[in-house]
Order: sequence, then C-alpha cells, then structure tokens
Amino acid sequence: MENQHQKFISRRNFIKTSALLGGTAFLGTGLPNIKKTYSKELDYVGNFEYPLAKPENILYSACLQCTVACSIKVKINNGVCMKIDGNPYSAMNLGENLPYDLSPKEAVSIDGKLCPKGQAGIQHAYDPYRLRKVIKRDGPRGSGKWKTIPYDQAIDEIVNGGNIFKDIGENQNVEGLKDIFVLKDPKVAKAMADDVTKIRKKEMTVDEFKAKHKDNLDVLIDPNHPDLGPKNNQFLFQVGRIHNGRIEFTKRFVNDSFGSVNWIEKTTLCGQTSNKAWVHSTREYLEGKWTGGIKSPRPDHRNTEFLLVFGSIVFEANYGPVQETEPITEGLESGRLKIAVVDPRLTKVASKAWKWVPIKPGNDAAFALGMIRWIIENERYDTKFLQNATRLAATNSDEPSYSNATYLVKVEKDGRAAKHLRANEIGIGTEKEFVVISNGKPAAVDPENSNLAIQGELFVDTNLEGIKVKSPLQLIKEEAYSKELAEWAELSGAKQKDIEDISKEFTSHGKKAAVEFYRGAIKHTNGWYNGQALIVLNHLIGNMNWQGGISNTGGGWSYIGDKEGQPYPMANLHPNKLSKFGVPITKEGWKYEESTLFEGYPAKRPWYPFSGNVAQETWPSISDGYPYKIKAALISSHSPMYSLPGGHVQLKTLLDTEKVPLLIASDIVIGDSSQYVDYIFPDLTYLERWATPGQSHHIRVKVNQVRQPVIAPLTENATVFGEEVPISLEALMMSISEKVGLSGFGKDAFGPGKDLNRMEDFYLKLVANIASGNKQGELVKAADSEEMELFKSSHRHLPKTVYDIEKWQQTLTSDEWKRVVYVLNRGGRFASSDDAYEGSFIKKKIPGLARLYLEEIADSRNSISGNYFTGYPKYLPIMDMAENLINDEGEFHLITNKEVFGTQSRTITNYWAQLALQPENFVVLNSVDAKKLKVDNGDKVLVTSTSNPKGEHLIAADESRPTIGKVKIVEGIRPGVVAISTHYGHWGYGARDIQIDGEVVKGEEVRGLGIHPNPLFRLDDNLRGTTLSDPIGGSASYYDTRVNIQRV
Amino acid sequence: MGSKETKNTSRRDFLIKGAGAAALGAGAFAISQVPLLEKLASANEDTVKDLLPFPELIESDEIIIRMQNDVRRALKKPLNEIQWIMVIDLKKCVGCSSCTVACVSENVLPPGVVYRPVIEEEIGTFPNVTKKFTPRPCMQCEHPPCTKVCPIGATYKSEDGIVAIDYDKCIGCRYCITACPYGARTFDWGEYHTENTPEIMQYEKEPNYEYGVERVREKKNSPIGNARKCHFCKHRLHKGMLSMCVTTCIGRATYIGDKNDPESLVAELIASPRVMRLKEELGTEPNVYYLT
Repeated sequence: MENQHQKFISRRNFIKTSALLGGTAFLGTGLPNIKKTYSKELDYVGNFEYPLAKPENILYSACLQCTVACSIKVKINNGVCMKIDGNPYSAMNLGENLPYDLSPKEAVSIDGKLCPKGQAGIQHAYDPYRLRKVIKRDGPRGSGKWKTIPYDQAIDEIVNGGNIFKDIGENQNVEGLKDIFVLKDPKVAKAMADDVTKIRKKEMTVDEFKAKHKDNLDVLIDPNHPDLGPKNNQFLFQVGRIHNGRIEFTKRFVNDSFGSVNWIEKTTLCGQTSNKAWVHSTREYLEGKWTGGIKSPRPDHRNTEFLLVFGSIVFEANYGPVQETEPITEGLESGRLKIAVVDPRLTKVASKAWKWVPIKPGNDAAFALGMIRWIIENERYDTKFLQNATRLAATNSDEPSYSNATYLVKVEKDGRAAKHLRANEIGIGTEKEFVVISNGKPAAVDPENSNLAIQGELFVDTNLEGIKVKSPLQLIKEEAYSKELAEWAELSGAKQKDIEDISKEFTSHGKKAAVEFYRGAIKHTNGWYNGQALIVLNHLIGNMNWQGGISNTGGGWSYIGDKEGQPYPMANLHPNKLSKFGVPITKEGWKYEESTLFEGYPAKRPWYPFSGNVAQETWPSISDGYPYKIKAALISSHSPMYSLPGGHVQLKTLLDTEKVPLLIASDIVIGDSSQYVDYIFPDLTYLERWATPGQSHHIRVKVNQVRQPVIAPLTENATVFGEEVPISLEALMMSISEKVGLSGFGKDAFGPGKDLNRMEDFYLKLVANIASGNKQGELVKAADSEEMELFKSSHRHLPKTVYDIEKWQQTLTSDEWKRVVYVLNRGGRFASSDDAYEGSFIKKKIPGLARLYLEEIADSRNSISGNYFTGYPKYLPIMDMAENLINDEGEFHLITNKEVFGTQSRTITNYWAQLALQPENFVVLNSVDAKKLKVDNGDKVLVTSTSNPKGEHLIAADESRPTIGKVKIVEGIRPGVVAISTHYGHWGYGARDIQIDGEVVKGEEVRGLGIHPNPLFRLDDNLRGTTLSDPIGGSASYYDTRVNIQRV
Repeated sequence: MGSKETKNTSRRDFLIKGAGAAALGAGAFAISQVPLLEKLASANEDTVKDLLPFPELIESDEIIIRMQNDVRRALKKPLNEIQWIMVIDLKKCVGCSSCTVACVSENVLPPGVVYRPVIEEEIGTFPNVTKKFTPRPCMQCEHPPCTKVCPIGATYKSEDGIVAIDYDKCIGCRYCITACPYGARTFDWGEYHTENTPEIMQYEKEPNYEYGVERVREKKNSPIGNARKCHFCKHRLHKGMLSMCVTTCIGRATYIGDKNDPESLVAELIASPRVMRLKEELGTEPNVYYLT
C-alpha cells in the first residue's frame, strides 16, 4: 500500500511543480523572428456535435456540495452526468439572471457560475464506494464486517425487533420500531400535548395530569414527568445536511406519523449562534410579544462601501462564495469597496483587505466593544436613527427601521439589567407598552402604533417611581467604558490604532457600511455575546434595510402551501397526525425551570431554551440517559463521529448496544460514522433526489431552486406501497410506515383518494405550490407543447422508478402539471435580480426592530451555573458551562478552517477538486513558531491538548490512531495560533478496507491522508465527553482549545 | 501491486514506440490521419455556421452575455481575422480554483493533466502579508516555443490564434512540455481518477469534445499518451459559447473575446494601465493578459 500511496502523491506533485510559473526551463531563443506555423487544413469551424449544449441533455436542479444549494445546470451525455454548471435562470448563479420566460432552448448556450465543489459534484454521486444494497453488521458494531441482506428483511428486522443479531452469536432482545411506537391515538396525543403545555406554564400539576390521563399513562416515558413525552420520543432521527422539502418529508414521518419530538439537525455545529443572535436582534414587537426575526441578515455587498469581516471566510466557505464574491470583487475593482478583516488567519478575503487584524481567537467582543467605545466617545453613531422609538418616528425621518436603543430597562438591586420597563409599572400606560424618556419625561411607547412618533433619549440612568432604569445604549456604553481602549486592544491582540482606524472608517460611509461575521466569531463559549456585539455595531449606524447596509434575503414563493390560494397546504394534508410533545433529547427550546425535572442548579446536563438542533448534546445525553433513554436512532446525512467536537468520546456511546439498542443509518457510503451502526440503508445523492432548498443569504430577490432527480439512481430498487422505487431515506421511512401502520403515507395519506405511494406524490405538490405563487396573479406560465416535449426528452434517461410521467401527472391536476413542468424545466422559480431595491432601500425588508437589548435573554438562566444571562453584549473569557474559567497550558491556540474546495465529509470523493488541489491538510503555523519548535515544512508533528493529552483518536472499540499531521509554515497566521482544516483524515468513506459478504473491499488510502482536528477539542470537564459550548446560542466550541506540538 | 508494475512497463513501451514513430517522420504518420480529416470535412469553410441558439434580443448588463455577444460577433468573420485573447483581472481573482476544476470536468481530464491551475503565493512577513492568486492557462503565444520543438508538427498555431494539438499526430515525446516557459502543458499518462477503487467509473470513459472531436479516453487511444493543454475551450467558442473557466468564475475575473474587435470587452480591458503579460522578456507575445 505504501508504494501505491507514494506513487499517488508524487504524481500529484508532478501537476503542482510543472504548473508553477517558470517551473520549467526555457529553451528557445530568437523568438520574435519565429514564423507563424498555421495549419489551416487541420482547423475546424464549429460543424461538430457538442452534446453538452443540447437542450434535451440538460436538466436544472440544486446543488448540495455545501448547504448553500446553488442552482445548477446539469449536462448529461449518454445518460451519464458529465458536467455541472451554474443555472443562468437563477440570480444565485448569474449576476444578472436570464428572464424567467426565456425558453430553455434559447438559454442552452449560457452557463452560470459555480464553485469548485459544485463543479466536482459528479464525483460525489458517482463515487465507487457508493452503497447499493442494505447491509447489516456481521460482527460487533464497528468491526468493519458486513453482510448484504434483502431490503424487506431489513425492514422486518428494524420494525419488529427481537433477537435480530443471533445470526452473529449475539443474544439481545432488541425492541423494534413498532415497540417504540406506543402512543398511537391522535386524540390522546393532542390532549396530552395540550396539558403538557399547561404543566410547562405551571397551569396544571403533574398530579392533575395523571388523574386526567390515568387510562393512558403507560404511553409516557415517565408518568411522573409527563413533559418528557410519550415513549415514541425514544426514537431519534439525527440528521445533518438537509434542505427544505426533505425536511418536511422527514418531519412528517418523525414528528407527525411516528410522534417523536426528536427530529434533530446538526445546526449547532454550524452557524446556529449567528442565526439565533440575528433572530433575536431583529424581532418584531406585535401584540405585546417579541416575535419573528431574521436568521441571516447580511451586507448588501453590491452597494457596500466599507465591509468589516469577523471570522468569516467570505470567498471560501461562509454561506455562499458563489453569490457573495462577484459583488465584492466588482467593488474592489471599481474602488467602491474597502474591506477590513479581523481573523487570526490570513484568509483569501483578508488578502484583498485594506487592513488585516490578526486577532486573538475568541476576543471578537473585545475588539467590538473597543469600537463601540470609540464610536460613542466620538459620537459617530446615528443619533437620529437610534432616537426613533416608533415606526412612525422612523418613517418621518426617512428611516426604514427603528430600534429599542431607548426602551428603558429595569435594573435590579444587584445591578443586573432585567426586562424592559412597561408603561403600566409607572402608571403611564399598559403592560404592552415600553417606556422611553422623551423631552425629559417618561413616555409610553407602542412601537407599531401608526399615530405615535416618539423619539427617546439615548443615554438614561435614572429612577422612575422608585424603579432604577437605564437605557440599552447606556448599558452598552457602560460595558464599553469598563475598559480603556488600550485594554480592549490588548485583550483582542490588536493595535489600538487599528481599532480607531477601523471605527472611523466604519462610521464614515453613512449607511453603506456593514459588519459581517460567522464561525470565527461565534464558535466559542462566549460566541453569543461576540455575535451580539457585532450586530450592535451595525445597529449603531442604523444600516438595516439600506442599500449597502444590512439586508434581508430575498425570500421565495412558499413551497409548503401556507399562502392563501396555494393548492397544497402541507400542514393540513395529514389526516390522523400525532401531536408530538415533550422535551427533546437535547433539551432545546425548553427552559430548565419550566420542566418537571427542575431540581435546582446545576442541572444534570445543559438546557438550551434559545437554541435548536443542538447536535453536540445528542449523544452525551443518550449516554447519560438524561432526560431519558433512547431506544432506536436513525442517522442520515450526518457524520457525528467526524463532525462533532469530541465525537471520538461519544464513539463509546454509539458502540454501546445498551445505550443505543438499535442504530440505523441511511447513508450513501459506509461513512466515518455509519460504519458503527447495525444497519445501513443506502441513500440517494443530491443528483438523484428531490428538495426545495430555499435560497442563499446573499440574494436580494426571490429564489426557489428545485432539486430533482437528474441521473438514474445508483441504489437498488425496493417495493414500497406496491411501487418499485429506489432505496432511499424516503423509501425507508415509507416502508417503516407501511410495516408499522403509521398515518401520513400510503393510501389516503393526504386525504381521501390522495395517496403518498411514491416520493414524487409529496415533492411535486411542493413544486405546485411554488408554481402557484404567494398570492393571486402569481401563477407561472403553463408549459406549452414544445416545453412539454423538451421535458419528456430531457428525462428520457431516467428509469420508471424515479420518472414515470403518467404517475407524476396523476398526482396533480392537469393545469398544475403544466406549470410544474415549466418550473422543473428551469430548475425552480426565480425573480429577476433587478427587483432588489426600492429607492435607497432594500425591497424585501427586515420587518423587525434593530434590537440592542434582548430582554428575553436577560430574563433566563444558565441551567448549570444558575446565573442569569445578559441582554446586551459583553466581554466574557472562555468558560465551561459551569462558568469555570478555561485557562489551559498548551502553547498554541488551535483553530480550524474550511477550504473552498471542501466540506467536512463528502468532498473526499472529489478527485478533481479536493484531492487534486490539495491531497492532504497540514498543521499550519507561523514561521516564528516553526523556528521555536525547530520544525520545517513537511515535518510530522504530534498535536496534543488538555482533553487529549496523548493525542489519540479513537476509531474503534480497541483501536486508535495518533493525531499526527504535517507542518506547513506560513506568514499569514497569528504567531501562537495553529490552523488545521477539517476535510481530511477520514477513516471511513472508503478510506479503509472493509468486508462485505466475506469479500474484502479495498480502501483507497488517499482518503485517509491528513489530520483530523476534532479529537483535540477541549471538552467540558463536568459534562462527560461533551465539547465546550455556547450556553445561549448552543454552538459547539471549535476555537477554544490550546494544544502542544511536538516533532515525531 | 503487480498490476501497477505491468502498467508502468506498458507505458514505457508506449513511449519508446512513440519515439520510434517520430523517427519515421511526418509523412509516414499522415496515413493515420484520415479519420480526423473526415471528421473535419467542413474545415475549408471560412466562418463558423453552426452556432447555438442565443437570445440576441435580451437587454442585459451581465458580463457573460456581453462577452457571449462579443464571441458570436467575432465568429461572423473569417477565422484568420479573429484573435482570441483572455484577460484575467488579478484584483478580482479570489483563488477559488473553480476554473481549474470546471476545466478538468469539461475536458474530462485524467490525473496529472491540468490546463489551468491557479498559483497561490504568499507575499510578505507577518503581519505585513498578503496572498496573490494567478490563474495560468495556456498563453496561446503569438510566438509559441512549444510548436517549434515538436518534431512532427503535431502542435501548431491555428488561424484564430489558438495553439492546438493534433492528438492523432502527437507521439508523446514531451519536448513541448519542456519547451513551454509557462508550464502550460502536461502529459496524459492514461490513468483514471478512480483506478485505485473497486470500480473505474463511467464518467471517466465518456467522451470529451476538445477541438470539436468526440474522443473517449480508453485503451491507448489519443489523447492518452499525448501532451495536453488549454485551448481556451475552442470547441465551446466555435459554438458561440465562452470558455469554461470564464463562465464558472465566481469573481468574474476572467474574460475572453476577440482582440481585433475594438467593441469587445477584452479589447477595452487591455487598454487598462494595470495590464501586463507573463514573461514579456521572452518575446513569446502571450495572448493572455493580466490586470494587476
């Protein structure tokens, strides 16, 4: 193997070296006199076949090489997908997109833009290690031994359970899914769910609940804690990369048919803290409640004049290099745009910046508070914007939004800022009104009252009717003034002058400046406040909804049919659906204090009232059996052992058949995580399946890209509800439904006479909703006969299992069908990029307030420490969940990053991209540190950390490998910081040999090259193998680990 | 590893055989050219007639549409009046390598063959440091050193300025690879990306359309055993399309068009004071212009 590996690498080196500028010697002389060597007879003039530009060989769809889901144009030759480009109909993939009504035949020669991952998507789908059949472990979990079993047998075993591993000499009675599906009666479920809500609000006692539901208490996990929900909750669906459409399909199964609350995505490994911080910072105040909020406001790069980036690899990862890059490079070239980047690593965007500030990781709030201090001291905030306390006041001063900067906050005796003061508390109004100081006197504020234009005082510190109050801006000022500018600079590792210069620049462009941030700022234990501080910077200049400022996304046409007049309101199309209820395994969306498990602080494990999809909490919670045990888990499109910080510790949980008695994966390969399960059901890749993903953060107009099968499925077929279909996650869920007898699938699934026998019965309805539009008069055109013929011919290579035109038509009305074809012929529905602006404003507005103070956060506690959170941004050091300081000894600070060609798991199959561009990753250090360590480029080093002092990565019950990587020395990283990218070092996904039916399937060594940093991450000492986390936003910490490095 | 040995041996044999053929001279080799000439039966016509449909009437400020119109206008002229040039704006290149990968996919390139790498350099010392990204296609030189060293004239300057390779003539001697001062040429060793896996996948055995000829890389057929290089996606240009690297560029840093057309975007761009070409001192007169 070693030789082959050497050869592979050296071949790749050959590309690299010969590709270098001047890499080869120049031989010729006297060139100017060389005669042109025309060879006319061998020139051709275009009269040849080019099948990749024939309309019948093109299908438009949606990418999934990363979660942005670009609109793609897929070119098929001889039935094989040969080329993927950007879809020029979509504003995501062509700056000025093609008119939607242009015929696909006319559009055939125009290709849009796409990133290198998208370009290499073919290799994701046509991976030689794709799984075609169902396999079952043929040895202990993680033994690497498998056998193929018939699909129907596999369904029978997972549904009925029993002694299903006796064939390999194990003797455990496994509860099947039918045994976990205990609560079956929708009426009982509804009644119990309603009463659990009452328990949560302390409107009903547990005893009252038990008395009322005495005949059905056996359906509960624990009748003494009804809020844990039904036993159905002991089925967990843990999912990773999933998009709209498939989200609804799988939630239909997990939540509504099976009745489990545990549909958990992996978002806290991604940008969840950013999402949630933005949502709370942009909420609307309607009928006395904070509601709504936008999860991904982003700079309007097309018009921004100053862009300040914190910890976001704008051109490489983030959420949409394909959309974000062009407006930025255009601005750089024209001179419109100036950039500053605050990041410990010289990212590609930093290489284009006016200033690069190599900050100390995790100190983004220090830098931001330094800026805030400077901005307040120099009065560079937008006074007029911040004073406007109502919608009308904003409108009167030509502002598209207003803020809560002046809404007074009550200050407790201990100095803690709590909730906003309400007008009734000082007798000047109702409990729904806030209070500001206006013209020296308190005034009641009803923010959306269309007759009320009130401006408040910005800095207030006073007593009203004996209540101590401060304004949000006052609280923020006090935090910012708690340290001198020099101290903030020192903490963040920046120069004071950088903070000053950047603050000045940021406040020199009116509304056309914006702060953008992502993982680098928020994947810390203090990530929430870092994020909030950066959002507040935007609010201080009031840039929301302005061209060049902070913008909403363009949205789309509803695919779930929740707009009036849409044909398929999906939420209502599920007779007998169960009401899910109870605390999720991750304790997300619940306050500890609301639950019957509350027994003082610390809680046994953290609760996450403000987060969702807290992936790093799933497996340790299962291990602890808190709040309850899990009996069966299905993992899909997610690789916890690869992507979870501390995943290697949770391997013990996965391998434990007591803790997870039945473990199933739906996966396209035997992956880094699915290799440990009992059964793997093959899944389809994004080129073989459906979804309605929704759109990028960076497009200002409506986009609904539709993912549809564009190649024949590689998986084998199965018979589900009498239909022959490819094995897939959808088929698996439908087969379980069929076998258990769940509602929502099969005959009459949507209502009388409306069956869900094939996945198209579901997905085509979503497309029909998109085609119908959000309101009357928004119907797309119907396909004419020419378009219908094109549709048929462009689908000719697909087998009946995925494309059966009669069955597709039957699931819709004939009018809907023609419009759906029109949409599918273009890969979705797309508004014109021209439709983005309205005067100086963004057309699609963020409807809420610019919130500088979040009272709901201030009113909640950390479930472990018992301390209250804070409603405004503050500087915190790195701490564990119990608020113990993390002060590790390691010499270096570890950070991770993504490269533009990679995602965590699946780009290891991309020979054209990841493997050709960079076959392995490195431990990247500054030259200063390399000298200190006496290491050179390519030297192997062992990396160890506090939580992993030996540098061991457990990959099987009795097997580990060392965390050794090769050194790469650069100048573009802060000394004392080391970076390791997260695309390499696989040990599944074809990286190692496995055995199926007694035959060895050889692994490909190149897939295992490099170092995987996750086993090094700092864990929380009190939480039994859980990574450090942000207690509010729920983010797993990726950048709070100190490491030591030694040469080996 | 036995099979690998066999393979290496056969590759060597192939090269030796190739060298022998070179010694026989171009005349003897011409016999094998008949199939290609048949495919190029219409080669004597002066202008391109087989353009793909294009929505001529749409009003658009989109750079892609502008350039595609430029290309289509150029194709109305006799080929020898066109001078294709590429312009690469280094201010706009973000080093994503999408062009590199798109090109590999478009031309179904095997391991070891790359037409358009993006060279990344780090410049400076912490904290005064930056990165520079330089995409490096074939320069389609006015005075190409590569064509001069080819013993049998298999690589040549075509009428529209593109330096082409006649795969059926090329004997794989690799002199041209050494001669190119830009490192723009690589060699097709006949390998497949998925050859170290359980199955060589079908997409590697489907045809490409370089130079307008449908070719499947299998057995020892060309372009296996040939030198290979960027041709500005000539097959796409001649259909009225743009080079693959141009369309996929996420920074809109790469432009193509006819230098001889003063109305074309590329002609405008090279009037910039930022313009430069690589290794001007060699006198190769590259047709790739960089804006720094």
